[in-house]
Amino acid sequence: MEKMSRVTTALGSSAISGRTMFCHLDAPANAISVCRDASQVVVAGRNIFKIYALEEDQFVEKLNLRVGRKPSLNFSCADVMWHQMEENLLATAATNGAVVTWNLGKPSRNKQDQLFTEHKRTVNKVCFHPTEVYMLLSGSQDGFMKCFDLRKKESVSTFSGQSESVRDVQFSMKDYFTFAASFENGNVQLWDIRRPDRYERMFTAHTGPVFCCDWHPDDRGWLATGGRDKMVKVWDMTTNRAKEIFCVQTIASVARVKWRPEKKFHLATCSMMVDHNIYVWDVRRPFIPFATFEEHKDVTTGIVWRHQHDPHFLLSGSKDSTLYQHMFKDATRPVDKANPEGLCFGLFGDLAFAAKESLISSDSNRKPYPGGDRRYPIFFFKKPDQTEQFAHVSSALSVFETDLDSNCMDWFVKTAQLYLLCGKPFAELCDHNAKVARELKRPQVSTTWTMLRIMFSDPANLTPGPNHPLSKLGTLPLMNSFNMKEMNSGMGAESRLERSKGESRQDNSHLEPGNSLISNNNEDNEETEGSDGQAEYMFGDAELDDDDLYSMEHDNQTEEQEYTLPQEAFQLRHEIMDNPSAPEHLQQDKADSPHVSGNEAEVTCLTPIESFSLISISQPLFTPQLPASFFCPIVREMLSYYAEKGDVQMAVSVLIVLGERIRKEIDDLTQEHWYTSYIDLLQRFELWNVSNEVIKLSTCSAITCLNQTSTTLHINCSNCKRPMSNRGWICDRCHQCASVCAVCHHVVKGLFVWCQGCNHGGHLEHIRNWLKSSAHCPAGCGHLCEYT
Amino acid sequence: MSIQYEDPTLAGSYDVVGSFPKSFGYGAEEQDLEENCSTSADKPRILLMGLRRSGKSSIQKVVFHKMSPNETLFLESTNKIYKDDISSSSFVNFQIWDFPGQVDFLDPTFDSEMIFKGTGALIFVIDAQDDYVEALERLHLTVSRAYKVNPDINFEVFIHKVDGLSDDHKIETQRDIHQRTNDELADANLEKLHLSLYLTSIYDHSIFEAFSKVVQKLLPQLPTLENLLNIFISHSGIEKAFLFDVVSKIYIATDSSPVDMQSYELCCDMIDVVIDVSCIYGLMQDGSGCAYDKESSAIIRLNNSTVLYLKEVTKFLALVCILREESFERKGLIEYNFHCFRKAIHEVFEVGNLPQGARSSSNNLTGLKYAGAHNGSAV
Repeated sequence: MEKMSRVTTALGSSAISGRTMFCHLDAPANAISVCRDASQVVVAGRNIFKIYALEEDQFVEKLNLRVGRKPSLNFSCADVMWHQMEENLLATAATNGAVVTWNLGKPSRNKQDQLFTEHKRTVNKVCFHPTEVYMLLSGSQDGFMKCFDLRKKESVSTFSGQSESVRDVQFSMKDYFTFAASFENGNVQLWDIRRPDRYERMFTAHTGPVFCCDWHPDDRGWLATGGRDKMVKVWDMTTNRAKEIFCVQTIASVARVKWRPEKKFHLATCSMMVDHNIYVWDVRRPFIPFATFEEHKDVTTGIVWRHQHDPHFLLSGSKDSTLYQHMFKDATRPVDKANPEGLCFGLFGDLAFAAKESLISSDSNRKPYPGGDRRYPIFFFKKPDQTEQFAHVSSALSVFETDLDSNCMDWFVKTAQLYLLCGKPFAELCDHNAKVARELKRPQVSTTWTMLRIMFSDPANLTPGPNHPLSKLGTLPLMNSFNMKEMNSGMGAESRLERSKGESRQDNSHLEPGNSLISNNNEDNEETEGSDGQAEYMFGDAELDDDDLYSMEHDNQTEEQEYTLPQEAFQLRHEIMDNPSAPEHLQQDKADSPHVSGNEAEVTCLTPIESFSLISISQPLFTPQLPASFFCPIVREMLSYYAEKGDVQMAVSVLIVLGERIRKEIDDLTQEHWYTSYIDLLQRFELWNVSNEVIKLSTCSAITCLNQTSTTLHINCSNCKRPMSNRGWICDRCHQCASVCAVCHHVVKGLFVWCQGCNHGGHLEHIRNWLKSSAHCPAGCGHLCEYT
Repeated sequence: MSIQYEDPTLAGSYDVVGSFPKSFGYGAEEQDLEENCSTSADKPRILLMGLRRSGKSSIQKVVFHKMSPNETLFLESTNKIYKDDISSSSFVNFQIWDFPGQVDFLDPTFDSEMIFKGTGALIFVIDAQDDYVEALERLHLTVSRAYKVNPDINFEVFIHKVDGLSDDHKIETQRDIHQRTNDELADANLEKLHLSLYLTSIYDHSIFEAFSKVVQKLLPQLPTLENLLNIFISHSGIEKAFLFDVVSKIYIATDSSPVDMQSYELCCDMIDVVIDVSCIYGLMQDGSGCAYDKESSAIIRLNNSTVLYLKEVTKFLALVCILREESFERKGLIEYNFHCFRKAIHEVFEVGNLPQGARSSSNNLTGLKYAGAHNGSAV
């Protein structure tokens, strides 16, 4: 205690000052140590052993301890320690297993004092007792720790860790008799210096070697350890079982760890490989270093705080042959550069967003999670440090919940199952798909399908269903689709912050007025159909067959009874059969807005149709021929838009339905990419049938061959059970026809049905006929065949 | 990356691609060095034991027969004691005994005397992904029995298949196993018996590292080798050096700086590359010749200004170093130092063949043969 007070007064009298400075050494340093009054530092390495004085703004070489003509291996130091009580006493650990003490008070040039060569392998660490002058501890690669009394010629006691090489030994600051040792197999042992036969306590601290340990200078129970597993752990040793209280994850294996004086929660680390920086951590904030020193160009091998009561000076030696004094005020603070915003998705689509408090509060649009007034936002305040100006960070955390429905992919599954991709006329497919989409409350998709039908149906066939309601109130559905689009893009841009429950409802609310308007329109139209010229004009196509009508009816959600009305209209239409369509109009439109996105373009192309329908009687605008290829660029953009939005389903479905009409417009790689993405999605949802259909319908060669590569048919001969070669129907080995019909004795090339009891069978038809007359096997084997 | 590869004329045979030849077909003048070390009867043995399906044969195959870890899935379970004498191809002068998991020690035909006498290390393999209570009972039984017969055995426990566990889980498992086994041993009054635990997996290099440590414990020359390496690297400006057993990629010694997994893996990979390239281009037209011999050496320059340097030391050993490009400018110095180092290693193993008395006296001499002045002026 008396000693301690002297130290503090020493600090008071010779108040340490200095700046960040460095000096070049001749060789890489392995370890450094400071003397008690913080005025000198010793640097030791394989080829260096020197003492430097720490002056105001430079290092001054005081003494070279490597003397003598022939350098002995005893000089090749792995570690060095300056006694904290005795100013003239130093100890080094040599790579050849020698422990050497040095007495600076010796008058001769060679200051070597004692030499202990008891260890067989490299000594990794030497440690003086903090208060006892003559007590020195060493830990070696050979797994032994030895305690030396410097008044004797040999070790006083030997401690066998029995667990591989010792990497570090440290006397406890507060417990006189205790020391900790860390081992290469991940263990940390606590020993009582009086009891060499068995450790007091042992625990596994790290996976892989523990390279260093350090007792907390003030708190007697705390031990920090660092290991190859890139972690620094702080253990509370006061409890019965060593308890891990803090854990800091670093980016490289930890070579040294040193508690920062006067700061309870701070420690400095340096790493052994890759990373050359020195970090000072606040163990309570293990994710970002409190401060970083980035001066060294190679691995830092030794760090030490200059004075045991001064937290502002850190000394470090490195393999780049430099010795640095770092001023704490010059350290970089990674916190300042850190991005204080964080965003994370939960397992069920919940979203947590943390941001600087100011950011959140200033943006009034962002409403935090409504139910969380009590719990959210949570504010994190870092207590302002008295001596350090740590970046004052306060952040607000908002949690947003999504209701499960909006996130579920039911629509995807349903759509995949219900969409028709082939097997019907094009227009019908479009209508069907549009209906599916609408029923799933996806009006934009639905409209797209309808548009497609309009665009690509035979121009003469151009009887756009939706125009029918549009004739009067056409802008409303358009508005609807615009809104949808805006909302979707908005969702992307605003990182879906507000994907709260409201959204899907918003969705619906957008939808419902639109729908109701459509149906209202329909009713209006149906009522006025007979007399209203404009409406009649809309059905300007005599070639409409029942199927088309049918689909139209679906489209417009009219009842079947009113079905007759349009048919009346048909006859009327004959008169105005050769009304021109409006390509010029469209082209103008297109030229006006060349950069419109696919969706908008579609919408704009509606406008002229609509307008023409309003003014159609007086001024017919349509030319009879409307080239389908004209729309291709628009459709292509539309497909890319969907694919980019994540709805690859739409892109692929349209691609298949349009088939040749659009295929050449899109490059094969993109197509293939869409196909594979969609197939992958389908398979994840276990929609094997749909996926197979898509593969079958795809026009990409890379996709169609998927089925061939993944499907193998092994054909075995039914007689000899060996695999058939693929030539013909005759087995190579038994020279008989495989799968012969038992009734007609011809090879069965179609459906083959056989009895599982006797393995005989044949053409389905023949066997069926046979069984009508006899229950026995037609092959004559006597088996009573059973077919289910 | 550039590889300079020098390959000499070769004589020998090499037949199985992907596995190592049993014999290297070395020149006759070197034959005496390792051959007369010991006859097979008194070779130290490494026993591999453990419950069935714990991975013993896989370990043996992966470490000593270069089997790829994925292939071990198809290994049949072992049903009789499988002795593998690898001394003809490897420096590790040991026999590996792979015990089937279902050996019954109480069976009177099981000759524990014969088995455990002359055994250097007993490796007990525990499947960490399985419930290990039964394995621990078995471990206790095996270990206490072996200890009675031969108290000098090193008992090593491989907590195996840890590739499936998280880091926390690993450490927890190790702690738990350590706790339980030590309690049991204490109950049985066997505190002296010491178990070393290793976390291993065949899918990374941890199994090689663990095996390296097991083998190193059995090497009486280890301190000398380590010192030699220390001296060699400090005089040549080398960062890290391993003395590898080429066949198994076990390092039998390294300098005293800590082993970093990445460096070790890099060196292992280098050996693979060298042997593979040598197999492709180094063999004679008729496939005769061998992949590793006196002239084998390789230099690989990495793009992070690091150089990997491999040199043959003895028939089975290779020195693999990692050094900076700047240091490699003094290649002559390194070569010279290596020459001294190689001579010293040969002496060490010759001493190993001398009677006990002569050993200690000549061991210390070897370290002092370096003229390698660090500043390069010696060259």
